[in-house]
Amino acid sequence: MTSPTPPPWHVTDALALRYAEGAAAETDAWSLEKHVESCSPCAGRVSAAVRAGAAGPALAAVRAELLASVGHRPAPAAAPAPARHPLGRGARIWWAAGPALRGSWVVAVALVLGGAFALAYGAGFQGARSWLLAASPVLPLGGVAVSYGRHADPLYEITAATPSGGLRLLLTRTAAVLAVCVPLLTAGGALLPPVAGFPGAAAWLLPGLALTLATLALGSFVGCRAAAATLAGGWLLAVTGPLLGQPGAGTGGAAVLTRYFSGLVAQGSWAAAALACAALLVLRRRSFDHLETR
Amino acid sequence: MNQPATVAVTGLTVRHRRTVALDALDLSLSPGIHGLLGPNGAGKTSLIRVLATVAAPASGRVELLGGDVGSHGERTGIRRRLGYLPQEFGYYPAFTVREFVAYVAWLKEVPADRAGAAVERAVERVGLTDRIDARMKTLSGGMVRRAGIAQAIVNEPELLLLDEPTAGLDPEQRVDFRALLRELGTEATVVVSTHLVEDVAAACTDVALIESGVLAFRGTTAELAALGGESADSDDSTTNAIERGYTAALRAHRDRRTGGPAGRRVKESQR
Repeated sequence: MTSPTPPPWHVTDALALRYAEGAAAETDAWSLEKHVESCSPCAGRVSAAVRAGAAGPALAAVRAELLASVGHRPAPAAAPAPARHPLGRGARIWWAAGPALRGSWVVAVALVLGGAFALAYGAGFQGARSWLLAASPVLPLGGVAVSYGRHADPLYEITAATPSGGLRLLLTRTAAVLAVCVPLLTAGGALLPPVAGFPGAAAWLLPGLALTLATLALGSFVGCRAAAATLAGGWLLAVTGPLLGQPGAGTGGAAVLTRYFSGLVAQGSWAAAALACAALLVLRRRSFDHLETR
Repeated sequence: MNQPATVAVTGLTVRHRRTVALDALDLSLSPGIHGLLGPNGAGKTSLIRVLATVAAPASGRVELLGGDVGSHGERTGIRRRLGYLPQEFGYYPAFTVREFVAYVAWLKEVPADRAGAAVERAVERVGLTDRIDARMKTLSGGMVRRAGIAQAIVNEPELLLLDEPTAGLDPEQRVDFRALLRELGTEATVVVSTHLVEDVAAACTDVALIESGVLAFRGTTAELAALGGESADSDDSTTNAIERGYTAALRAHRDRRTGGPAGRRVKESQR
């Protein structure tokens, strides 16, 4: 469209004004119309003159009407709608957390932690840290139990008919439970007075992970609530049974707990158990969006 | 009726412990609005829950939208194109209507860039736009049900299953809801379980009547009305005609059942 050499002639301001007013001679108007096809500076000058002239308001009205008729909405109203997600970022994390983080489970975790601190600093009880360590691995199980399933989730009947309502939702909610448990309980354990010759505050992490994965794997057979109850009960028996056998010893439990938590063999066994449970869960991944039989 | 069937159920049997909820049911549905009628305890909810891919059948084959519900891979695909309003459903009381519907959209894997508009459209279609940011716990029973309908339609389902959707709606909302049903039924296969004959008369093109787990009648709404016979009353309404047809179909079905074991199929004898 652009000619290699620019035309020698250009539209003068006076001609543009005469053209806008409709007062230009016919030949001048022709020349101008031909010229603005290939010369954008002149086209802009003529357009500006026309818009500023008597035809300006009429042109503006026609433009507005045309845009309205083709469904063009004014920019300010259209701008925010597509950009905004229905939920804010915080709300989306909140929703993904599921019922556990909105319910009594969070209160239970806070109570256990608060109780340990009250015992340690209020009553001067030396074994608070070992008690917290013993209780820590089962707290996530409670969270899993109240996160997923017909008995725990009011939305279950609706989620059961959705593509993401199975393992994906369960894992999301388990991750949320762990995201609350891990920092709270580890930091809590670290802040309590240390017990001599006793495993560190992070010692519960692998047992906690292994028991959580075991709950999910067992839950694929019997449901999460029954699985969590079985494993939590088993753990508490294994830990408290020997403790109750030797009453009166404030730090006597340390020996028992050391057996479960300390050393490469114990932690290695927990890691192996966690891997085995994860592998079983992968094999059983389809069982959570199975159809319900009763 | 020459469209391909979106729901094909053959020999469907559902048991609840020792009682039989559905007994070797055969049913095929194509796009349109199908009323699922029947007395309380007839097996309507059992059928809807199987069609919603929530409950497993004891035996029989269920094909939805061309996929087999028994296959894990196909079931996931079906669930993306499914809408389900349970008869009773829970919700998180602190969620707003928007969050509730958006949560279900997320579970149904509606793409995130479309979710916002889809949620607003679904809420608008059930007439709850003015309460979209109200918390679920502040809503009345009828509004909760409408929010439930909104979550069912948020993914523009091709198969929409509504179990007692008009329960708790006032008469004006029912009229609006039936208009929405007719709109949805032009594209999708809509199954509406109800015990209100007037819902069927106003919105449904087809009727399936279930009694004691067996199909007692299957046909168009007009055929059910015709089954009731002519009324002596000149200003008789369609609803009354369908009510009489409903009663007549049930009675005929019960007679056949007590008369002999051959009374499973109704359609032949009714023509």
